[in-house]
Amino acid sequence: MSNETRHPLRASDLAVGDSLPPFDLPVTSTVIVAGAIATRDFMPVHHDRDYAQAQGAPDIFMNILTTNGYVSRYISDWAGPESMQRKISIKLGGPAVPGQALKFTGQIISINRESDEYTIEVSVQARNDFGDHATGTVVLTLAGD
Amino acid sequence: MTDEQTDPLRAKLERYIGKPLGSTTPTEAPDKVNLPMIRHWVDALDDRNPIYLDSEAAATTRYGEIVAPPAMLQTWTMPRPVIEGIAERGGAPNTSTENAIGALDKAGYSGSLATNSELEFERYLKVGEQLHSMIMLESISEQKSTAFGLGYFVTWVTTYTNDQDEVVGRQMFRVLKFKPANPKDNS
Repeated sequence: MSNETRHPLRASDLAVGDSLPPFDLPVTSTVIVAGAIATRDFMPVHHDRDYAQAQGAPDIFMNILTTNGYVSRYISDWAGPESMQRKISIKLGGPAVPGQALKFTGQIISINRESDEYTIEVSVQARNDFGDHATGTVVLTLAGD
Repeated sequence: MTDEQTDPLRAKLERYIGKPLGSTTPTEAPDKVNLPMIRHWVDALDDRNPIYLDSEAAATTRYGEIVAPPAMLQTWTMPRPVIEGIAERGGAPNTSTENAIGALDKAGYSGSLATNSELEFERYLKVGEQLHSMIMLESISEQKSTAFGLGYFVTWVTTYTNDQDEVVGRQMFRVLKFKPANPKDNS
């Protein structure tokens, strides 16, 4: 599933307040375990349901490295291969668990131009049935056009 | 202010603050930045940004060559896990040197929940770069009552460098270390 954004994204077309195309990630056990292992996170709460439930969690849940990865992907799916991310800051809320899609949304909160480069700050939100899973901001740069 | 009478554990943890968390020297990533791990990550997250695997496409961008996904920064220096006993260690990948996390695990605060992460990238990493990480424990909160149980918020900052001692990125990470509540006891 990919966002329907035309590339290259033109920095001069962007405005504060613009929304990014939303993205729904169907979260499954496979998505969670694949992300945990690809990020080399072997904590049992990310692959062992019994263990996770003994810790008080409803099920296995996504590790933060994978959440960061999906936030990063959400931004570059929109901004394209010429964009460069400088900062990803997130606050974790409820867990991302199997069977609850994560809905990613974003909005441009600032744009600064310095010579031929734009620095863009985007607010990002990933929500599921529990509410906010991750909220935060991403700072990226895009070349001027 | 820590009151040793009411929270001796917190008082004991005080000595870890401002010190390296774990190793007192930078830890070397088990592997250099490499294509197999990038491919594994790209497939796991279904991230099709061509700069991560397509050298021809990457050559046409500002990067000029394949670069690693920026969010993989932390992945490169994740410690090699000892699978046996990982559950009993609260998910700690190995029996690390004595540190605040180990002290909390031992005291029964074996649950871990990440609450905040701030990743900063100086630039994207190239294949073949050898990373090193150094972790400093920034702060430990007072004991808090949370939805998961009693716990402490532990904040550390990791600085990532390459073989040339160039800082390529940083990460602030905050984790809640909590005493898991037994659901059966709560009814």
